[in-house]
Amino acid sequence: MVIFWIFAGLTAFGLISYGLQILAVRSYLRETERRRRKGIVSPCHCIPLSILKPLKGLDDNLFDNLESFCLQDYPQYEIIFSLRDHNDPAYKVARKIKEKYPGKDISLIVERCSAGLNPKVNNLIPAYQVAKYEFILISDSNVMVGRDYLREIGKHFGDPDVGLVTNLIRGVGGRTLGSVFENLHLNTFIMGSICFLDRFLGMPCVVGKSMLMRKENLLAIGGFRSVKDVLAEDYVMGKKMHKMGKKVLVSSYFINNVNQYWGLKKFLNRHTRWGKLRWKIGGIRYFSELLSNSVFMACFPLFLYAPSKLTGLFAVMVSCIKVTGDFYIGRKIKAEMNPFLYLLSPVKDLIIGIIWFIPIISNTVVWRGNRYVIGKDSKLSPCTEPGLWTWRYRVLNAIKARLV
Amino acid sequence: MLLCDFHIHTKYSDGSVELRRTIDLFGQSGFDVVAITDHIVNGDNTFGKLTTRFRFSITEENFNEYITHIREEAERARDKYGMLVIPGVEISKNYLSSDKSAHILILDIKEFISACWGYEKIFLAAKEQDSLIVACHPHYTLSKELTSRDTLFLWNNREKYAKYIDAWEIANRDDVFSVISLKKYPYIANSDFHRVRHIYSWKTLLNCKKNVEAVKQCIRQNKGVAITLFRN
Repeated sequence: MVIFWIFAGLTAFGLISYGLQILAVRSYLRETERRRRKGIVSPCHCIPLSILKPLKGLDDNLFDNLESFCLQDYPQYEIIFSLRDHNDPAYKVARKIKEKYPGKDISLIVERCSAGLNPKVNNLIPAYQVAKYEFILISDSNVMVGRDYLREIGKHFGDPDVGLVTNLIRGVGGRTLGSVFENLHLNTFIMGSICFLDRFLGMPCVVGKSMLMRKENLLAIGGFRSVKDVLAEDYVMGKKMHKMGKKVLVSSYFINNVNQYWGLKKFLNRHTRWGKLRWKIGGIRYFSELLSNSVFMACFPLFLYAPSKLTGLFAVMVSCIKVTGDFYIGRKIKAEMNPFLYLLSPVKDLIIGIIWFIPIISNTVVWRGNRYVIGKDSKLSPCTEPGLWTWRYRVLNAIKARLV
Repeated sequence: MLLCDFHIHTKYSDGSVELRRTIDLFGQSGFDVVAITDHIVNGDNTFGKLTTRFRFSITEENFNEYITHIREEAERARDKYGMLVIPGVEISKNYLSSDKSAHILILDIKEFISACWGYEKIFLAAKEQDSLIVACHPHYTLSKELTSRDTLFLWNNREKYAKYIDAWEIANRDDVFSVISLKKYPYIANSDFHRVRHIYSWKTLLNCKKNVEAVKQCIRQNKGVAITLFRN
């Protein structure tokens, strides 16, 4: 019984922290809503900017995602699509976009840059070299934005102390279980954590899917080459910018991350990788993620004891609170998700709770087909074939084969 | 080169994705030419009757609606993605024995063709409409999917029917039929798309203009045709 009350206490802690996350998200939304209600249109601080789009493979909704950047209500900008390979299926989509919008300033760069181990940074380096404007916007290929995106993100640079502006991401479009889980996680845990850290702890979280900065500031922090061998290049860039005394802002403007046809495996892979990244960056703080997973904590007594009325009811009650909270955030941020899908939220939390443990026992990541060892502050190093890692994977594979 | 897939099913028969979404899926992935080819199943046996009963087949009654819908979507696909959409069907003659079964793609179809007709009647009706006739998955497949069955009739009777057939599927989804190349028949490769994951499969590359006539001519002449395994 004592153990049950310990877990009940941890669950209460998780629920309180979740409540704070909801408050943080609300405070962001209030700002946007206030502007909307008052009909305030952002004054255009229309700095000419270069959008760097690193492309690799087909993301869901890729054509629309890329097209949304051609439809910006913004006077002067260029788009640079950067790929490693002409055979990349994204190349054809990028070419179609370029052909559809001949009046837009669009460049297609195909270059196999191997400066570092981070493939996204390798992709960004050639694009950066041809960027002609003073401001550069790094934007992932899986985001879709509204027409006023550049206007909204650019306005912050009226303040010369601003070093980097990033955005909140909203997961939309889920049609498979994997995508629904992904979108639920983005819209609740990820968004809640970013808002919470920024609003209440003053720790700016940079989301690599959208980062706008001045070239001179990027150079001052060492340029792309300074992050060529780290997995969390966005976090490191934000941290360096902050250290340099520049403001790192999270814009309250939402950008859509379209995840439609993800398999469960892709969801698990991504969050295992992100978990490893946060473990390496956050260290002991990583444990707070488990403690704030109230559903997982509430279900723990169910597994420790034989299920009883008390433990069962407790888990169901906490799950209901979590579903309601997730539904509330989803409605507030206009996630356009079928309300019944929020019932999957506790299942997602349980899965996330289980994969939380993986980073503790493994420090290798597979990213775009390559295996790396991930070190402090997400520093990557190649995973050498012989040695401990191979041995461990051999054992894991043998266990997997047995289970199959 | 045009990236093409000429064998795509939607919810009009046994596909799992609606027509509009299917078009979007291929458009978003940068395809240049696709053909929508839902099944017309022979209703002359119990299996065929059940298929029609559970609406896994295009029938004479809903054929016009099907074609109209494809044409509407074709217009949208052209404007939005610059993608050519060709209406088609897959005539599916299913029997218990694989040796008796055959599936035929009729591309650029205009009038309904019944799967209960004899082979020659089907081919002649398709020729009359200037449609393209493709023998699909004509040999043994390695597919592990429950619904996939071998359809060997056309290959076993190729001496008789090859003259009617404009092209043979040399690759279907993950299978490659090397016998087609050994016979030097005109070939194309398709996904036989039923589910989203099937988009990553064998495809055809054509070196021709992006219009229906040029595409048909290119396949018939079998010049400037290549196949590629489309992977992400």
